[in-house]
Amino acid sequence: MEPILVVLVFSGLAAVAAPLGVLPLRRRAIPPLAWIGWANALAAGFMFGAAFVIAEAALGHDPAWVAFGAILGIGLVFGTHYVSGTAELDLNQLADSGPVYGYQVLIVSGLHGAAEGVAIGVAMLESLPFGILVALAMAAHNVPEATVLGAVLRGTGLRLSHAAALSVATNIGQVLLAIVTFAVVPSIPGLYPLALGFAIGALVYLAMSELLPQAYEQAGKVSIALVTSVAMGFVVIIHGFVG
Amino acid sequence: MIALSGLPPVVQVFLYGMITALATGLGAIPFAFVRSVSPRVMAYANAVASGLMLGASFGLLAEGAQFGRWQTIIGANLGVLFVLFLQKALADHEIEFGRATGAGARQMLMIVLVMTVHSIAEGVAIGSAFAGGMTLAFVITAAIAVHNIPEGLAISAVLRPRGTSVASCAGWSVFSSLPQPLMAVPAYLFVEAFAPSLPYGIGFAAGAMVFMVLVELLPEAYDRGHRPVTALIVSVTAVAMVLFQQYL
Repeated sequence: MEPILVVLVFSGLAAVAAPLGVLPLRRRAIPPLAWIGWANALAAGFMFGAAFVIAEAALGHDPAWVAFGAILGIGLVFGTHYVSGTAELDLNQLADSGPVYGYQVLIVSGLHGAAEGVAIGVAMLESLPFGILVALAMAAHNVPEATVLGAVLRGTGLRLSHAAALSVATNIGQVLLAIVTFAVVPSIPGLYPLALGFAIGALVYLAMSELLPQAYEQAGKVSIALVTSVAMGFVVIIHGFVG
Repeated sequence: MIALSGLPPVVQVFLYGMITALATGLGAIPFAFVRSVSPRVMAYANAVASGLMLGASFGLLAEGAQFGRWQTIIGANLGVLFVLFLQKALADHEIEFGRATGAGARQMLMIVLVMTVHSIAEGVAIGSAFAGGMTLAFVITAAIAVHNIPEGLAISAVLRPRGTSVASCAGWSVFSSLPQPLMAVPAYLFVEAFAPSLPYGIGFAAGAMVFMVLVELLPEAYDRGHRPVTALIVSVTAVAMVLFQQYL
C-alpha cells in the first residue's frame, strides 16, 4: 500500500472507532462514573506513551527546535481552550446539561482530534509501523472519549444515532491533519523537528489539562495512577516490538 | 577540583560524588523568596515538582533503554510497586515531618524517600562513568552537579510550602543525593558487578518518580489550583527539564 494510503486508512480507522463508545449508552443507562474515569486515565496513558515514544524519536534532532515545537503545541491547545471558553470545562456533567454545554464539549472533542492528527502524521513519518501503533492508540482513546461525548449529548436531548455521527465528525480533523502533516512536513526542510515537538507538547498538555484532572474526580487517585502508568507502559512496550 | 587529582582514585570518586550531592542543596535557594503558602501556591509548587520529575524520568528512561529496554521496563514496574508499598505502609502511621503532620507530612516523607532511593541509581551511574577513566572526572561531576539542582528544586517545592525552612529544604535536598557518593565508590571499584544492574536501577528510579507524580502530586495540584494553569506549569516545566538535560 502507498504510505499516504496507510495514513488515510489508519487515521480513518481511529475516527470511525469512535461510535463504539456510544454503543453502551443504548440502554439509556449512563455508565458508572468510575468507569469513565478509568477510560480517561487509559486515554491519558496512551497519550503519554505516544508522547514518550515520539520524544525518544526526537532525541536525534536539534533539541532547541523540538522544544520550540513543544511550546507551540502546548500554547496552541492552551490558547484554543482559552478562546473557546473551555479551559475549565467540567466534562463530568452527564445529566441536566443544556445545549451550550453540548457544543462546548463538541469544540473540545474537535480540538482534541486535531492535535491527535498531527501526532499520528508525525509518527507515520518516523516509521509506518510506529505510526500505525499511535493511530491504534488514538482509536482506543477515541472510544471512551465518544462515551463521554455521547452521554453528554444525550443529556442535551440528542438522539443516539446523531451522537454517534457527531463523534465521528469531531474526529474528521484528525484524519485531515494526519494526512496533511504526513504530506507537507517532509517537503519543508527543518519543519520535522518542530512537528515532533508540536505533537509531544500538544499530547502532554491535552492529557494534563483535560483527561487527568477529570479522571481524578471520577475515580480514586491510586486506581487512576495505576491505569495511566500501565497504559503508558503498554504503548512503550509495543513500540519496543514494532520498532 | 585540581587539588583532588593527587588523591587516590577511590577518594576522588567519593569527593566528586559529595560535590554533586551538595549541589542538590542549591535547588532550595529560589524558595528563600517564597513566603506566602496559600493553597494555590502549594498547588503550583506541586506542579513544578511534577514537571521536573516527569522531565527527569524521561531522561532516565531514554538513557536506561540504551543499556537494556526490557530491564528498564522491569525496573520501572518495581519502582511503581515501591511507591504503592510506601503509600500503604505510611497510611497506617501518624507521621510527623518537621512541624507538619497528617497527609502533608506523608507527602514530604514520600518525596524525600523517593528522591533518595532514585539517587542510588545515579550513584551507580557516576561510579561506572568514573571507571571509564578519571580524565573526564571534572566534566562528569559538573554535569551531574548541575543536573541535581532541579531535583533539589523539586524536593523544596514540596517541603517549603508545607512549612519547612529554606535551610532544612537544602539539608533534605543534599540528604536525598547522599546515595550518590556512597554508591559511586562501590560501583567504581566493582564496575563489572554493578553494570548489569544499571538499567534496572534507572528504570526503578523513573518508575517511582512518575508514579509519585501521578498518585500524590498531580491530584493535589488539580484540587487546589486552576486546571489550565496547573497543566501549563507541568508541561512547560517538563519540556524545560528535558531541554536542560539535553544540553548537558
